Amino acid sequence: MRPGIKIRYLLLHAYGRGGTIRTVMNQANSLVAAGWDVELVSVLRRRDEVQFPLDCRVTVSTLVDLRERALEPARGLVARLRDRRRTRQLEVPAREIPRGEFGYRYFNRHVEDAVIAYVASLRDGVLVTTRPALNFLAARHATGGVIRVAQEHMNHGTHRVDVQRRIVECYPEFDAVAVLTERDRQDYEQLLPGTRVIRIPNAVHTLDQIPSRPESKIAVAAGRLFPQKGFDLLIPAWARLVEKYPDWQLRIYGSGEKKAELRALIEEHHLYNHVFLMGHTDRLDDELAKASFYVLSSRFEGLPMVMIEAMSHALPVVAFDCPTGPADVLTHGVDGLLVPAQDTDALADAMGRLMADQELRAEMGVAALMTSASYGPGSVHPRWEALFTELHETRHRSGAAKGLHV
Amino acid sequence: MKPHAEIEQVWPRDGRIRIVGRLYGRRGDSGRDWRLLLVRRSSTQQLRYRARVEDDRFESEVPVADLAAYDTDGIEQWDLHLTDGEVKLRAGRQLDDNRDKKKIMVYPAQRVPAARGTLTVQPYYTVQDNLSLECRV
Repeated sequence: MRPGIKIRYLLLHAYGRGGTIRTVMNQANSLVAAGWDVELVSVLRRRDEVQFPLDCRVTVSTLVDLRERALEPARGLVARLRDRRRTRQLEVPAREIPRGEFGYRYFNRHVEDAVIAYVASLRDGVLVTTRPALNFLAARHATGGVIRVAQEHMNHGTHRVDVQRRIVECYPEFDAVAVLTERDRQDYEQLLPGTRVIRIPNAVHTLDQIPSRPESKIAVAAGRLFPQKGFDLLIPAWARLVEKYPDWQLRIYGSGEKKAELRALIEEHHLYNHVFLMGHTDRLDDELAKASFYVLSSRFEGLPMVMIEAMSHALPVVAFDCPTGPADVLTHGVDGLLVPAQDTDALADAMGRLMADQELRAEMGVAALMTSASYGPGSVHPRWEALFTELHETRHRSGAAKGLHV
Repeated sequence: MKPHAEIEQVWPRDGRIRIVGRLYGRRGDSGRDWRLLLVRRSSTQQLRYRARVEDDRFESEVPVADLAAYDTDGIEQWDLHLTDGEVKLRAGRQLDDNRDKKKIMVYPAQRVPAARGTLTVQPYYTVQDNLSLECRV
């Protein structure tokens, strides 16, 4: 145990399946294994179970439980009055969250008040907030002595103008702002002069993976079926290759609200024998190992972790050079092929180049595996430990110094 | 694995459903008269179409309009087989790694005029990964 430093991660929904949640759980697992005291605090709770592997020593708590049985009518007058107030507050819009925050719809006055009350109660240890809305609330209200670290999981250019403005106002309050890519570190440093901005990439959950087979004729993509992931660009790109490579399959893993549109696109291009919407899988590792390259067709990213996971299976990557991530990770022509963002012809050409050349896939796959090593938990998580230790010592020293002057 | 007709491609377009695949567990004697056999699940009705078989490869097609001649009440299924008159091989996709094909390998529906309105015909994989056609008015 490292006495005196409790690390609390504040997540919007620790019970969800998103990349931020997965990454934070990886961090928490590594820290708790290294002897830290770690708690995950979920603002909302919509499910019974967390969706990713989590060390049982990491405690999880919830601020607002939205599961159905938690919303059953209460017995007794006082409880009913409290319920009525809660129901009212659930419909009042949040005060402090800009509308452009992509998570805006999950916030309301009740949720906002719960977060404010929680962060304001903290007196010691470290609070790590994991998205702009939570960062804004922590900047203003977590003023009771806790060390504050803001995480940014999306690149700065992705945020709407109102969110960008609030970032400039709020983030100087933090002891450190952690971003994922070099490009983002430079952007934030310029926006926040005097604020400590540190780049720590996310880590994959393990580097101990089954290598893929370069002779396989399966390409794989993964992500929520949502415009950000650009599967609507990938499907027409595949249509250009299907005649020349009729024995290849493209498998797209993930679920989401655009499934029907993507299915229609597959039918329009007569790709129903070649492109498959695989749905969500709990065993993505096994599925990645069956492929011989990975495709990233996103319009934007923070740091695409599934891509790096694919690389840890020795899969080469074909990726749009979108902001941000692919260019941070990949070296064009070495461990993958980078093509201009949203250029479907260039994407098709690059995929065709890999499909035509098994040896190239094998070579680039080995290079990809080597690249992925710097994103292993063993390389990344000590950087968090170092940051927390240093922030704690700095605070402790300045606190002691103050004490001497009294 | 039992002998069966392993489906590789299904092409529902231009008023036809073309299927392509390989005979598994039985060699296709091209001297024999192979047929694609459709068996209606709710009755004993059957439809037969010529199938081209060479070594283990087969190919055949069904004009969707043929199914409109049968009175469909709600939803009907037709199960697909390959037969040379002696053996009857169920058509399906058993040899790949994909489970739950019913949801993953989804084919387009085609529409044809029928006595009671428009008939929608769609190939699909059953929960046992066999290939059948679903018809609905």
